[in-house]
Amino acid sequence: MRKRQRVLASVAGAASLALIAACSPGSGDGGGDGTVQFLGPEDPAFFEPLIEAFEASHEGYTVEYTQVPFDQYNSTVQQRLSAGDESIDVYAVDQPRVPWMAAQGLLEDLSDLEERAREVTTEGQYSTGVHQDKLWALPVWNSTQLMFVNQDALAAADVEGPGTDPAGRWTWEQTVEAAEAAQESGTEWGLLLEQTDFYYQLQPLMESRGGGSGVVGEDMLDQDVANAEWVEAMEWYGATFEDGLSPRGVGTFETSPLFSAGDVAFFVGGPWDLGEFADSDVDWTVAPMPYFEGGEEVTPSGSWSWGVNPASQAKDAARLFLEYAALDPEGNLASTERQTIIPANTEAAEEYLPRMDALAGDRSAGAADLISYEVANTGVVRPVTVGYAQFEEVMNTAFADIRNGSDAASRLEQAGEQLEDAWAPLR
Amino acid sequence: MSGAPVRTGGGEPAVGSRPRPGHYRRPWWRGTAAVALAFLLPSLVALTLLRLLPGATALWGSLHHTSLLSGESFVGLGNYLDLFANADFRGAVAVTLLFTLVVNPLQVGISVALAVLYTRRRMAGAKVWRALVILPIATPPAVSAVVWSVIFRPEGGLANSLLAVAGLPPQGFLTSPDQALASIIVLLSWIGVGYWMLFLIAGINDIPAELYEAAELDGASPARTFLSVTLPMLRRPLSFVLVAATVSNLLVFAPVQILTGGGPEGSTNLLMYDIYSRAYALGDMGRAQAEVVVLVVITLVIVAVQFRMLRSED
Repeated sequence: MRKRQRVLASVAGAASLALIAACSPGSGDGGGDGTVQFLGPEDPAFFEPLIEAFEASHEGYTVEYTQVPFDQYNSTVQQRLSAGDESIDVYAVDQPRVPWMAAQGLLEDLSDLEERAREVTTEGQYSTGVHQDKLWALPVWNSTQLMFVNQDALAAADVEGPGTDPAGRWTWEQTVEAAEAAQESGTEWGLLLEQTDFYYQLQPLMESRGGGSGVVGEDMLDQDVANAEWVEAMEWYGATFEDGLSPRGVGTFETSPLFSAGDVAFFVGGPWDLGEFADSDVDWTVAPMPYFEGGEEVTPSGSWSWGVNPASQAKDAARLFLEYAALDPEGNLASTERQTIIPANTEAAEEYLPRMDALAGDRSAGAADLISYEVANTGVVRPVTVGYAQFEEVMNTAFADIRNGSDAASRLEQAGEQLEDAWAPLR
Repeated sequence: MSGAPVRTGGGEPAVGSRPRPGHYRRPWWRGTAAVALAFLLPSLVALTLLRLLPGATALWGSLHHTSLLSGESFVGLGNYLDLFANADFRGAVAVTLLFTLVVNPLQVGISVALAVLYTRRRMAGAKVWRALVILPIATPPAVSAVVWSVIFRPEGGLANSLLAVAGLPPQGFLTSPDQALASIIVLLSWIGVGYWMLFLIAGINDIPAELYEAAELDGASPARTFLSVTLPMLRRPLSFVLVAATVSNLLVFAPVQILTGGGPEGSTNLLMYDIYSRAYALGDMGRAQAEVVVLVVITLVIVAVQFRMLRSED
């Protein structure tokens, strides 16, 4: 009996030691065996061609991709990297967040790639990876926004919609008028922006009014989100929900099925929707993103860059994969094979863009020229500041409230105060 | 009396006995105390690693401020003062207290009522009804949140469709600052009621049948029987359910993150979500850790009050 007791006690003691060992640092599965752990918010199927092409051209290297849902992506990455997670080698970082991540030491310095990186992309795209004169991330894609026009809905309302020519760009006022007519003729919703609460898509509303990006100051840590132009733009946006032009209960990225089903007259979305809507039975066309009458013609820009985790145990392999995906036109093109997105690599973009016209037959005709025009002429960058993560969080919450009926002026004032508070620790 | 020294659990000679020269003295690690310690060790290690150490880390972190420019510095109670000066934090505390005051009595009250109902001898189909109430427990919180987001959708959602059938106007539910917290409470109660009911059914089944027979012979009404027999005899499981429900509801996170993000206008910004948002969306670790400490203190105070109330009833 006593012997058995001692054996059990030894087992309990050993279990405790095992528990301590399991909790000790250094048990990550990142390693220097040529396996690259890659983290991003996209569907794993999107990266199969890229990973296959990389593995075929780089013998001995493999890539394992892990998806984190878009809504939780930024906070999950922040949480894991700040805890020194070694199991991530390469990860996607939203371009305006690069300074914030770099300032926290969560991106590996890639300045030795500066020359090559400048050569293969536009200066604007290159600059998204720079913070304090060092290069921290490589741009992989770029983006813009288009307005998808439901021709069936407009035909029912006897309204002639806008064409693809940027010279004939509609104003928001024209769009609302036509959207209301479409609703009166039986279309459920008149107008819908794909990312209902996200700064990325709403920034052009304020910029078009002349309200600026919302971030000012020498160190880009002062807010200007409650000026008259911002309030006007947000009052207009809130009214589209208040007046029943747009649905309140549908969140960001739940919106495209409504257009696919023919329930929306005008839908503002990204190039990725060209592929998404190709399977829809709706007769649609593309048009330039509208602007406010008397205001500036502006569209969003920027997308994801990829960087290397400083805690990675496979940095050489990680850099090899990153260089292939961003600097090599073949790799960059492979990253867009299963999704409709603009390659950041200039050579890859030249080869890729013409394909967009044929994605949905006649319906997507003219998309390539329109996208090229918007990227070159109307794209505005999101503010480059170490406080972007806080800015986006605070503003997205404010936009959601305004969409749900909050008074725009007072909610923006409140957002300004929240930003001052959130940025205080950064100063 | 034996000549051998009397040994205590630790293997040491008892006071008053003297080890004889040359007598074998058993090392401490072969005594019963060492065995007991080895058995306790896994729990102690787990307690230290998973509870005490993170708690101490949060407390230590809450006294420090991290700046991108000046690095980490000791700020004493500075983070706590900043927090209490912050309107969003004060709002989160108010929302959490309101939520706690409503959700716990509501869940426990409905659980008691259903437990009593489903343990009645003459209740037709009690097992089927009971299974239906318990079913949501098996649904992961994220899935429950998605299901309820569809039910609460202002345009074409099930809840508004039912209201329309009853001739009532559509409601905003999760998109309305006045209704969002109530909507979250409904969702959580949908899951929680069945769970807490299980413990109460077990408690009711443990009450001796003779007590009910005696009450029946005395001509007690069902209400009197409930107040004088069921409720007093159910006190122990009820205490557990009340405390466990309180702690569990103070830690609610997933439905808020998935459905409302703390909005509209901060109306569902419970402390757990505020901590997460402050730590990982705003990157303000010092104040987030101070908020963790505040949440723990609030939890301890509420639970202590509950224990005290239940003890005085004893």
